[in-house]
Amino acid sequence: MPKLSLMFENKIVKELPVGSRPVTIGRSPDNDLPVDNLAVSNHHAKVYFEAGRLVIEDLDSLNGTFVNDLRIERATLHDGDKIHIGKHHIKVDTSGDAPAAAWDSGKKTVAAPRINETMVLDTKERRQMLQQAAAMGESMQFASTRMKVPTLVVLNGRTDQKEYVLTNKLTVIGKSAMATVRLKGWFKPAMSAQINQRDDGYYLGPGDKVPNVNGTPIHGPVRLNDGDLIEVSGVRLNFIFRE
Amino acid sequence: MRIVSGGVSDVGRVRTNNEDCFRIVTPLNLFVLSDGMGGEAHGEIASALAVETLVKHCMDTEKNPAAPFFGQPNPGWNARTKRLASAVYLANKNIFQSAEEHPEQHGMGATMTAAWIEGVKLSIAHVGDSRAYLLRSGNLLQLTQDHSLVAEQVRRGILTAAEADESDMQSVLLRALGAQPEIEVDAEEQVLIARDVLLLCSDGLTRMVTEPEIAGTLQAETDPTKAAERLVSLANENGGADNITVVVVRLETDSKGWFSWLRRGAQKKTGGNGSTGGK
Repeated sequence: MPKLSLMFENKIVKELPVGSRPVTIGRSPDNDLPVDNLAVSNHHAKVYFEAGRLVIEDLDSLNGTFVNDLRIERATLHDGDKIHIGKHHIKVDTSGDAPAAAWDSGKKTVAAPRINETMVLDTKERRQMLQQAAAMGESMQFASTRMKVPTLVVLNGRTDQKEYVLTNKLTVIGKSAMATVRLKGWFKPAMSAQINQRDDGYYLGPGDKVPNVNGTPIHGPVRLNDGDLIEVSGVRLNFIFRE
Repeated sequence: MRIVSGGVSDVGRVRTNNEDCFRIVTPLNLFVLSDGMGGEAHGEIASALAVETLVKHCMDTEKNPAAPFFGQPNPGWNARTKRLASAVYLANKNIFQSAEEHPEQHGMGATMTAAWIEGVKLSIAHVGDSRAYLLRSGNLLQLTQDHSLVAEQVRRGILTAAEADESDMQSVLLRALGAQPEIEVDAEEQVLIARDVLLLCSDGLTRMVTEPEIAGTLQAETDPTKAAERLVSLANENGGADNITVVVVRLETDSKGWFSWLRRGAQKKTGGNGSTGGK
């Protein structure tokens, strides 16, 4: 299980393994990893597993979350990465073993049949119920004020452009005429991979080929993080958010 | 690619009327499913009206692609997706208006999940808690998000997926056709590859049959109608608490490799009528 070590002036303050539940970091004492410093927001960041990768997400903190001195909103964490929050830093240690987070396969327990009628909430009821729901949980960090433009930068390989801004719902990478990222050269597949824009981000999925994200082959759609490296059909692409 | 499809709708084991409705429009490769709600027989009226409106709009505009779009289609969507979302928008309008004009229909509504395939591009438009799934190389991927209260709570991290399955609030929808004069339509686009299987289903299937069971059935049974029948009987074996509707669409390669391609070429030259199928 990967381990986070909260350090202050080179002394370990607290160590915490990351399991299947997200680890929250912030000034408020209800965090899994409380950091007592005024430069730290109450709910500053969280670290969790997503598709087998360890991910850190800034929760719209005032002073920002830094990974290896780069300010991030979401980033994949690697062994030895240093996270800076306020005056503290957190060391990432994934050398232990593979993620323990077994994926919930969406298994359903078939409950006793309920024959209550389906109902639709009207707008007012809906707002109230969602507000109550939000009060129950504290994760209401949605609207980000800065405009971020998702971009694919071609690092190497032959393509028709050097850079692509992802404006469409669907972006196809391949040789096909409908591909946005057009691959050049012999024996390139018509559709190597596709990127789907969803409410919560951009997902890379396999096409005729299985692409690699940061060196790991992906067989189903995975959400892309800022800075991810995509390799497919002899082309290397960098996925980044431009501000 | 060759597209084969089949669909089945069943009343289930508990209810006495079937409020689900589906339609397969083969010439357009258009697939629609709707689950109605409302007292008396009004759920049936709502789902039938939804399907009718959507299919009519798609067929009418097929001859007139310049027809205006309705609602607020996202500029990032392709033309097919915009058209499909417009059709769902109109379906909402028709159900809402019908309920306004006929007080006894007040409160009726419907879900709608529609898929349209053009070449290798799949467009989906969706409102409610019916679902579209894509089975690709053994992985079952849910293409739509449920517009239900419990699904929203799971997305916000308030409930776990397991807690949502146990919740008695599963029938509470946040979005459905007919509830409001305007509607926000979700859309999804995918590029399809050979051997993909598309599944549209009402919640009568997904509340009774687990996703691994669904994936297994779709892989084991290659005839779309038989696969749909099997899924419906699985849901009934597990209780059949609600109406169950399943539409299965399979994408098959129309050639079996180089040899059949050569064979077909030869047949054409010799005046064969191309009975091997194909586009």
